[in-house]
Amino acid sequence: MAEDKTNNEPTLVERWLRDQQQWQRTILSYLDSMVKDEDFLVHLGNAMRGSLLAGKPYPTASTAMSDQEPPADDRLDRVLFALHQLQGQLNDLAMTLDEIRDAVGGARKIASAAPGNQKPPQRRPPSKSAATKPGTRRAKRRA
Amino acid sequence: MTDRERELEALLALSERGRAKLDRLHSLLTSAGHYGAGATPYTVVYTENKLRLLRLLDADGKPHAGPPVLFIPAPVSRYFIVDLLPGRSFAGHIAAAGFDVFIADFGEPTAEDRFCDIAYYVDGLIRRSVRKTLALSRAAQVNVVGYCLGGTLSLLYTALYPESVARLVLLTTTVDGDVKGGIPWVAHKMGLGGESYDTPRLVPAVEVKSWFEMLAPGSNSVAGRVNDLWDRLDDPPERLRDARTMSTWVDDIVPAPGRLLAELYQQFGPGRNGLMAGTAAVGGRAVDLAAITMPLLSVSAEKDAIAPADGVDAIKSIVPHANVIRLSGGHVGIVAGRSAPVLWQRVAEFLA
Repeated sequence: MAEDKTNNEPTLVERWLRDQQQWQRTILSYLDSMVKDEDFLVHLGNAMRGSLLAGKPYPTASTAMSDQEPPADDRLDRVLFALHQLQGQLNDLAMTLDEIRDAVGGARKIASAAPGNQKPPQRRPPSKSAATKPGTRRAKRRA
Repeated sequence: MTDRERELEALLALSERGRAKLDRLHSLLTSAGHYGAGATPYTVVYTENKLRLLRLLDADGKPHAGPPVLFIPAPVSRYFIVDLLPGRSFAGHIAAAGFDVFIADFGEPTAEDRFCDIAYYVDGLIRRSVRKTLALSRAAQVNVVGYCLGGTLSLLYTALYPESVARLVLLTTTVDGDVKGGIPWVAHKMGLGGESYDTPRLVPAVEVKSWFEMLAPGSNSVAGRVNDLWDRLDDPPERLRDARTMSTWVDDIVPAPGRLLAELYQQFGPGRNGLMAGTAAVGGRAVDLAAITMPLLSVSAEKDAIAPADGVDAIKSIVPHANVIRLSGGHVGIVAGRSAPVLWQRVAEFLA
């Protein structure tokens, strides 16, 4: 039995041949991915630079050459940056208005919830209908 | 077995090992990698220029209940280092500990952003992010967690607007620019003049990256990096996936506003050392670090080549009540590496 088992083991040549076949499969799998998947090419290029960066090419000096020096005429960029600053100031104003609105709303809620301040609901004067009713002062002024 | 057979056997083993590595690399490169997005669900609650203020959501798509925490990462790198992977997210861990977590994603600057200075970040983007955070969480104060350069900006913000900050955490944040090591120190020693404040350029990402690589010997040569990768391909698949995720952060640096770098160098670089000297200013306003009276935790990393631990721990001499701890690991490792949960837990306990 032991002799049979020994005889069934692949020889060195057989193992070498199998290894060669495996290499062919490995190379084909790379070629197949290169053809079918564009991202794979990018990732393979990154790996060849020693990086496993996914999703974009590894940054190289050639991709950044145009950014090396500030442009001669930077007026447009200065304007754009000033607009960003203005946007920030406007956002500040909007936040302040929100805070004021929340504070006023909160104060109203507190006031209306305070004991003694809970008045019975009053009927609002029919201002809207009066304003549109012919013969009232506002309707006359509009006319 | 003859000597010749033994030699052939060894060659065959070498061939099989090399092929197995290439198969592993192929499998890695064809699997979905980390594409630079955070791991935890979020909603964008505020935008300004390239900034997005993110608010983390729970499994039901609702904001977490609890006191607000605002993460300020470095504007020269991607924000997702604090929210790397499910189960390996600093921000996710803090949210799970009972906090309403917000993250400032400064985005990728474009040409006009080269004019951004310290005041634009501190008085502008960060201050408004805090305002929005407070408004949404209906809190009077926010906990701020700043990482690296984000920590420097957080420190300046807190000194100028202390009433809005409950607790401050600074991670690998250099305060003593005269300590040996780090990018500004190396640049100073090399006699580099730094960026121009008046006519700034958008410093290309590849150049910013080269500065970081300068501090990690071997990583700035292609041959060295390829050798590292080839050796690493013996690692188990899950470790390789981790390495790929980390690589996606480390290698995806963003361009830097030249004016910001110029001002940082002029104020806090070697020889000036404005934080230690008490001469720091934001937009012409003096920064008084004595205003920082709230609890402060500063964390340094033993093997930090970017922000040397001694330069980080020096916070104790300018904010004496600061709680200073030093963890084993590197600049990135303590925040997002395998041992990072140690830091996350310390921060969660400090904020609680």
